[in-house]
Amino acid sequence: MRTTTRATRPISRFFALAMTAGLVLAACSGSATPTPTAVPTAAPSPSVAAASTEPAASPSPNPSPAAELEGTITFLHKYSDPRYAPYFESVVAAYMAAHPKVTIQIQAESDQGVKDKLRVLAASKQLPDIYFSWAGDFSKKFVRGGLAKDLTGDITGAWKDSFVPAALDAYTYDGKLYGVPITLDAKYMAYNKKLFADNGVAVPTTLEELLTACDTFKAKKIEPIAFGNQYGWPAIHYLTQLNPYFVPAATMATDYDPATGAFTDPGYLNSLQAFADINTRCLTKGSNGISHEAAQAQFLAGKSAMHYIEAVEFFAFTEKGGAPADFANNWDFFKLPAPASPAGDVGTLEGAPDGFLVNPGSQHLDIAIDFLKFLTNADNAKKLVADLGWLSPVQGSATADDTFAQNVTVVQDIAKAKAMAIWLDTVTQIDVANAYLNGLQAMLDGTKTPAQVVADIQAAAAKAKTEN
Amino acid sequence: MSQTSRLGRWSMLLWVAPAVVLLAVFVYYPVVDNVFLSLYRWNAFSPKEVWVGLDNYVNLAADPVFWSALFNNVAYAVVSVIFQVGGGLILAAVLEELVHGRWKGLFRTVYFIPAVISLTITGLLFQFIYNPQIGLLNQLLSGLRLDALQHSWLGESATAIWSIIAMSQWQSIGYVMVLFIVAMQRIPRELYEAAYIDGATRAQAFRRITVPLVREMTVLAMIITVSGAFLVFNEVQVMTAGGPNNSSHTLGTWLYKSAFFNDQMGYAAAIAVVIFLITVTAAIFQLFLNRGKVVQY
Repeated sequence: MRTTTRATRPISRFFALAMTAGLVLAACSGSATPTPTAVPTAAPSPSVAAASTEPAASPSPNPSPAAELEGTITFLHKYSDPRYAPYFESVVAAYMAAHPKVTIQIQAESDQGVKDKLRVLAASKQLPDIYFSWAGDFSKKFVRGGLAKDLTGDITGAWKDSFVPAALDAYTYDGKLYGVPITLDAKYMAYNKKLFADNGVAVPTTLEELLTACDTFKAKKIEPIAFGNQYGWPAIHYLTQLNPYFVPAATMATDYDPATGAFTDPGYLNSLQAFADINTRCLTKGSNGISHEAAQAQFLAGKSAMHYIEAVEFFAFTEKGGAPADFANNWDFFKLPAPASPAGDVGTLEGAPDGFLVNPGSQHLDIAIDFLKFLTNADNAKKLVADLGWLSPVQGSATADDTFAQNVTVVQDIAKAKAMAIWLDTVTQIDVANAYLNGLQAMLDGTKTPAQVVADIQAAAAKAKTEN
Repeated sequence: MSQTSRLGRWSMLLWVAPAVVLLAVFVYYPVVDNVFLSLYRWNAFSPKEVWVGLDNYVNLAADPVFWSALFNNVAYAVVSVIFQVGGGLILAAVLEELVHGRWKGLFRTVYFIPAVISLTITGLLFQFIYNPQIGLLNQLLSGLRLDALQHSWLGESATAIWSIIAMSQWQSIGYVMVLFIVAMQRIPRELYEAAYIDGATRAQAFRRITVPLVREMTVLAMIITVSGAFLVFNEVQVMTAGGPNNSSHTLGTWLYKSAFFNDQMGYAAAIAVVIFLITVTAAIFQLFLNRGKVVQY
């Protein structure tokens, strides 16, 4: 292959493709794909719970004096959902009130929409001053392209100390910090306590016990686990947690790296086989045709005993989040149990923070960084926890006084985790991620076996290696 | 040449110039530049474009998803021609000939309403209809004791694209029907009256008078339908996003996924070139078929 480079005209290049795409596509609109974020296998975070359940340790730097800052910046986030957008609007309004000469233009996108928008903006060199990005390989693309500012020298002192260390680690590449985390997330199996009690089912502590519990529910005509995999990512979340159980951590780290990935360890097949067993005995049938939200509605309606969800979704199970009172008072969660004889590390927990990057080409880097400091100060972190029911990476923001009991437990559980496993579809190279996404859908509709999916993943890893 | 005619020529050019400039900037330039784009490997994040020659086209030929997407587009076109053009023609004839008075207006409206509903809304509506647990279709099959025919319509590789195509027929047949109604209303009634006096049946009148005299509209409808079938995007994106396991991708959605999800902009440009060639060829072919065959009585 020749490697001649063409004179780069990014805007016209992209414009041309966009226009041609416009010609050939009837229109453009994407279905909302609620998706995961990703964290690199983050370092253990022993300080999370302890620190988070303590009173706020005054980590919030005050905004800079209003007179110092003047200008307009753009701020792209992915929380356009009417439940979440008001929080960001109110924080921006508060900042602008404190800085009368500063204007922050919000660009609110959906979870799926932001992926496309970021690519369009990146290609046309029109990235906003502050923009959302998942941790992991998604952020690394911006770093590699010189589109993310190195914030190592900016996030220091009290501001740096205010964060849970693991959340910062997720945005640290080659020893440099590129992102400001805004939320903390982990994946758990939520369960209906009443259905468990009524049917004499105990909280499973091993994968085998989970499968047996599913059999019990099925025998009583109760759907064991509500599951909708219309867009592929819900299935990959199971594998994100199962892979660390079945594959030694060192092997997994080698395979998740595009330069060295091979996926030849038998643990990958065992992991897929475990998912196949879960599907057969626990999951909703025809799940590729059901959205995650539709499955969640089944669980909320008390028609399913369990539902595998992210902690940021817990809010929907509270009365404040719209759940009926009899349900809101009758649910809890447990970590997806490991097999009785694991080959990997049972201490790993699936989860990741979300955060923001800063455009190094911004004309107002001072405002961008000052606003991020304001957004993540103790008051706004507590407000995020209280208003949205999410977990903040700012230490001390979630206490029993400002959030519901399950959220406090999550913080404690994250603290106990030996390591956090980044979402599989964003931590791996895109070809490998696609092999997992497509292969799992094929397994669910019965057109591929776990062995065939492993073969596809290995082929994708080999391709990724040549392209690396 | 007189000064007046020269002025007329210049003023003519002045009038068409805005449209020509717009077309050149927004249609012809992107199409030509896109061909060059398809010869490079680049993505939204990369600072440079790497010349790869025809590699993107070679990869395209070896990509099973591309062929599956092309098949889905062809299936979309064939089914759409049969149901939308064929069905729309018959529906229009039935409404024009057999339905009278206020019922005619009512039925026209009923058939046309789906065409004005947003595709996103239609897609979400049919997601409910096709839902394997609570969907109307599976409930209907269950009510008819045809449980064996129940499927996760959008969730199985074998049924996903056909379910989307079916929705598309429901939505678009009314639009094509209205096109045919307009064409039929221009046919002089005397032709039918003369035929009926000569003993023609309604079916014969349809075959000998209606069909030949709406030929131009038929060709137009076929061009619209076939071109539309190769440009299908929203329907698939809203209902399955190309899944499960890439089985319901069309060329449009595969282009989109390659460009904006897989970060393969050059490869996506190559897909765009193929779509362009297919649609242009189809349009030229259909126009050629219709050349010199305008029927007048």
